[in-house]
Order: sequence, then C-alpha cells, then structure tokens
Amino acid sequence: MLQAINLSKKFKTKEVVKQVNMEMPAGESIGLIGPNGAGKSTTISMLSSLIIPTSGEVLWDGKSITKDPDPLRKKLGVVPQEIALYPELSARENLAFFGRIYGLKGELLETRITEVLMKIGLSDRQRDIVKTFSGGMKRRLNIGAALLHRPSILIMDEPTVGIDPQSRAYILETVKQFVEEGMSLLYTSHYMEEVELLCDKVYIMDQGEIIAYGTKEELKELVSSNQTIELRVNLVNANFEKALTNQLPTAIVRTEEELLTISMPKNEEPLATIFAIAAENNVVITAAIVKVPSLEDVFLHLTGKALRD
Amino acid sequence: MLFTLILKQLKMLSRNKQPLIILLVMPLVLITILSNALGSIMDGEEEQAIQANLVIIDDSSWDQEKDAIVNFLQQQGLTGPALESLLLQFEKNDPAHILKNNILNSDEIKKYIKVEDKQKADMETLREDMKIDGILRIPANFRLDYIETAYFNKQKLLDLSLYLNQENEIRASIISSILTEWQSEYTKFLALSNAGVSPEQILNNQTSVEKIEQVLEANERKIPASIYYTVGMLVMFALYIPSFLAGFALQEVQWKVYDRILLAGVSPTWYTLSIFITGSLVAFIQQIIMLLFGRFALGIDWININAMIITIVSFSVFIGSLSALLTTLQFRTKTDGIANLFNGLVITVFSFLGGSFFSIRDLSETLGKIGDFTPNGATMSAILSIQKGQDLSVIWPFMTVIYVLVIICILLSIVFFPRRGVAE
Repeated sequence: MLQAINLSKKFKTKEVVKQVNMEMPAGESIGLIGPNGAGKSTTISMLSSLIIPTSGEVLWDGKSITKDPDPLRKKLGVVPQEIALYPELSARENLAFFGRIYGLKGELLETRITEVLMKIGLSDRQRDIVKTFSGGMKRRLNIGAALLHRPSILIMDEPTVGIDPQSRAYILETVKQFVEEGMSLLYTSHYMEEVELLCDKVYIMDQGEIIAYGTKEELKELVSSNQTIELRVNLVNANFEKALTNQLPTAIVRTEEELLTISMPKNEEPLATIFAIAAENNVVITAAIVKVPSLEDVFLHLTGKALRD
Repeated sequence: MLFTLILKQLKMLSRNKQPLIILLVMPLVLITILSNALGSIMDGEEEQAIQANLVIIDDSSWDQEKDAIVNFLQQQGLTGPALESLLLQFEKNDPAHILKNNILNSDEIKKYIKVEDKQKADMETLREDMKIDGILRIPANFRLDYIETAYFNKQKLLDLSLYLNQENEIRASIISSILTEWQSEYTKFLALSNAGVSPEQILNNQTSVEKIEQVLEANERKIPASIYYTVGMLVMFALYIPSFLAGFALQEVQWKVYDRILLAGVSPTWYTLSIFITGSLVAFIQQIIMLLFGRFALGIDWININAMIITIVSFSVFIGSLSALLTTLQFRTKTDGIANLFNGLVITVFSFLGGSFFSIRDLSETLGKIGDFTPNGATMSAILSIQKGQDLSVIWPFMTVIYVLVIICILLSIVFFPRRGVAE
C-alpha cells in the first residue's frame, strides 16, 4: 500500500501542498481531482519519489521512500501529463529505451515491447517516428512506456488531455482493463466522467489541501440531501405552481419560462404526485429529469468553482 | 545502462538536422573555403614532408676490400689467429656498416631519413632527381684507408663525398646533421681507438636523433592554410557539442523523460556520466572526420600521429566535461540561457583568442598567450606545434591547460548539480 502521511511541500515561501494524507491500497483505483494549481502534480511527484517532501512521509508497504525509493520505483509506472517520449525515435525505439533502462534485455524485452504495442494498439505503427504520430497515438505510447516493466501501481496525470474523443475512449477502455486486471491506479483528470468511470475512491484537492475524500457515493452525499427535478411543460399556470407548493410542502418551486425546477429532500418520491397535479391542472409535461448530484456538483459545492476553472 | 543512454543520445544527435549541419557540414564547408581562399596568402610554398631521401653510393664493400685489408695486415707482420681476430674486429667496427645498419636502420632515424643503397651509380644522374635530398658516396678504398688511419697511424685521406639538395633546407639539414655527427664521431674514434673504446659506443642513435630534433626546431615545417583552418575549425566546432547535448538534456527534463529515467533507477551521476562520455565520443568522431577530410580532400600529411591522438583525445575529454557542466547548469537554471550564452558569446570569444579565424599572435603576443589558456587555443597550438615537426614534449604544457580545465568542469558539475532533484 502507498500512503501519504501529513505530506507538505513548500517552494520558497509558498506552501503548495499542505498536510495531505492519502491511501492507495493494492488493487484499488483512486482518483485525485482538483483545479489547476491545486497541488495535484506536486503530490503525485512526491508520491512517486521524484520530489522530496518538505515535511511528512510517503510510505510504501510501511517503509519510507525518502531514503530508499528503489522498492517503490520498481513497482511504479508513471504516465506524466506531458508526452514524455523522444519524438525523433520510433515507437519501438522509445519502448526499447525505456525497457532497457529498467534492465530488460534480449528476448524478454522484445516480448514486452510486442505485448505493450498490442495493448496500446500501435503494433502497425511501431517503426514510425513518434513526431509523425497524432496526439492520441502519442498519448497511447506515453502510457505504453510506463507499462514495460509491468508495474503494480500506475499513476496517471491527466493522460487524456488534448486528444480526440475516439482516442480518449480507447485510452479509457485500456486503463479500465488495467484496473480490472488488478493494477492499483492513481488517476488525475479534469474530466470528471473519467474519474467516475475508473475510480473507486476520489480525493478532492484545492489550494494544496485534501478537502474531501471517499467513495463516489459518499462524496455525492456530501453535496446535499436534496434532489432536483426539472420539468419542461407546455403552459405554466399559477394554479399548477400553487398546487405543487401545497401538496409538496418540503419542495421549493422555481419557474423560468417553460422550465419548472423543484428542489426537495432526496428521500421523497414525488414524481407520481407531480404528474397527478399536472393532470388536474391541464398542464402537459413534455420532459421530466431527476438530477442526481455529480462529482462536478460536489466539486462546485466544496470549492465554489468549476473543475476546469 | 550507460551504453543505452549513450546510444540514445547519439541517435538524438544523428536524427536532428541542426546538430548535423553545425557539427559536420559547416566546418567542412568552412575548411574548404578558407583553405582555398586564404591558401595563396598563407602558403609561401608547398607543404613538404619531413622525411628526407638519402642515397648511399658505396663504391666498395667489406667483401670487396677484404683481400686488400688482409694483404695490408700481412705486410704489418700479422698472421694466423691474430690476423683473423683483428679482421673480425675491423669488420664489426666498419664505420660504413655502422652507418648503414645501426644508425640509419634504427627506428628513430627511419622516421626522418629514408635510405636507398646504390652501387656504382652515376652521381650526376642522381643529382638531377629532385626527390633525392642527399647523396653520400663512400669511395672504393674507404675501409682500408680507415683501418690504416685508425689502427696503424697512417695518415690517409678519408675522402667521403656528400651532396645535399638545397631545394629543401630542412631535409638537407637532417641528412647533413646525421652524417656530420657520424663523421665527427668516427673521427673521434680514430683518437680513442687506442684506448679500446668501441665505435658502437660512440656512434649512438640518440645523439643523431637529438641532432635531427635540433634541425627541426631550427627549421619548423611551414603550416599551410589547409592545416591551419582544418585545425582552427576542428577545435571551434567541437565547442558546439556541449550545448547540443545540454539542450537535449533540458528537453528531457521539460518533457518529463528525465523523470522516467530517474524512476527507472538511473542515478543523476550515471546520467551525467553518460553525457560526459557521449560528449567525448562525439568530439572524437567529429575531429577524426575533420582530420580524414583534411587528409583525403585537401591532401594534408598529418605527422606524428601519436601526439595527434593524445591531443584530440584530451580535447575530446574536455568537450565531454564541458557537456556535463553545461547540462548541470541548465538543470539548475531550467532554461537554455546558459547554452545560448555559450554558443553566442563564449565560443566566438574563445575562437577569436584561440586563433581559429587567424593567428592571434600576429596581432598581439599577449592575446596569443591568453588564447593558449582557452581549451580550443591550447589544442590548436598543440596540433600546430606537432605539425610544425616539433617533438611530443611540446604538447605537455597545452595538455596541462586542457586537463586543468577538465578538472574545473567536473568539479563545477559536482558542485552545481541540483541536489534536491531536477523535478523541483
């Protein structure tokens, strides 16, 4: 298990990571979300032994990695946000280089390269120079370069930034397979749906601090105990609105042209009542959406800003 | 591990057009242009090889003179074993034999003099051959006359004739110095023979080699424009290697490839060592290409290969250490400002002071001396001294400068390498 205990990092006078505590049990997939400048990359760098913390500890299987990072490094694969590849070398040459510096050689190296190329779907382009690749192909190779030594933990920092939806879907599917195969994953992304898809637990970070963590459901519970129902109606009349308020006393009803928004406690099931009131008042409901809180809403609620701000 | 890093750096260099153009194409083009454009101004005469051609016309031989010598000894009352013993001693001490087989046949002297033996040749015909720098004629009764003079106090005239082709003063001087030394030594022997001193002890090669070196010092080979600018460009363009390697290293940090390298367990020391070795290797290859270009395209006859190898290896080591230092400084500053400053300013100043564009000593002796303290200037002075025909020992002061600079670069690399990691 990889643990961060009271991890802090100061650059000159600015404290960019403050007392962060995290846990990454074996086989689990963890999401780390936060706006730009929240301290995610610095935290990842400390967790992966690239930066020494100002205070606090990173433990791998209970032992500090500050003095001896090698046991962690052998098990760790890191996919940085940047395309950390040599553009002048071919895909295969890149993989061969990264494999060799991990001590792989000969037949074993060749087998691993072929295996990784298959996984990332670049077998047919393996001899091509990387600078001729599309953004999505570079991203896939970027992931592949972290897999050659078969790590048991994979840390991915925004691995789908700036690529087309098709490549993004391919990458997500690939990463999902890694998780299903039992690889531990620490995943950061601006795309909340990616974190929702891949991660069991999520840490939310803002201004260097972990402001919330838990399973996706636990976090959504944090947002509010309310549910929001949006109704699109053909003709809003005052009676309908009044009837709703009377029969659903816990509801807050707002009208905006043809859109009616009803907020009320989550434990109630109001849809049948709403449709009955609509029928009594000759109101035709053309669409009804029960909005479940998303991680985006959680984030907005906790930080007061959207994730991409 | 080290090999993998070096191979990757070599691939990066070879697959980028800019380094290839600057490190190989530009110097070759400039060498060609400058050698041709300035050749007529700089070159007073053709470059001349340092090895002299000597023809020895021996009108006799020990075997041919042996009967006459035996007759003479019998006339002196010598017979039987005493005569035989003396004959053996005289044959062994024959100055012509010692000259041809001991002195001129030694490895040290063969570097400077190529000997051709001819018998009964026409001296006048040989004189017309301008490739021949000297002709020594040993007369018919030389051995007998020598024995009579050396051992029996007869005053015979030892009439050797030496012709020197003055077309090439250095080569003529080399032959003259050797033969004068030989003559002087065997004349001395005439006086010392009674004391039982062997002529081999007197006529030694070391003295002859020293004489040649004195000649070479007094008559240095002229350095033509082709040699000057091949060396000038060679030392100047090698200085661009460190900034390319440091630039690639900075890119590796910016692209986070360096993080991957660290995560794979490669220590910063190994990484820096790989830059050092790559820099040295590329500099060595680059210099060899320049020298081969000089040899085959410009017809330069590079002499004293051993001293040349010592010099270019030393300069290559310096380039390696400078590559490590620039990489370290760029890691520390996280910008390419240092490499740009080095390329834009330092190389220009060093090349000017080192004499890559023209001989700075012609402008100012002080600037010339300062230039000898730049790595390129020291290397250039060492190579030019070698090519002037000077002895290997002439390069040591320059090599001292180079290795002091190597040590400084390595120490600064160690001091400035970011202790807390490049990622921060």
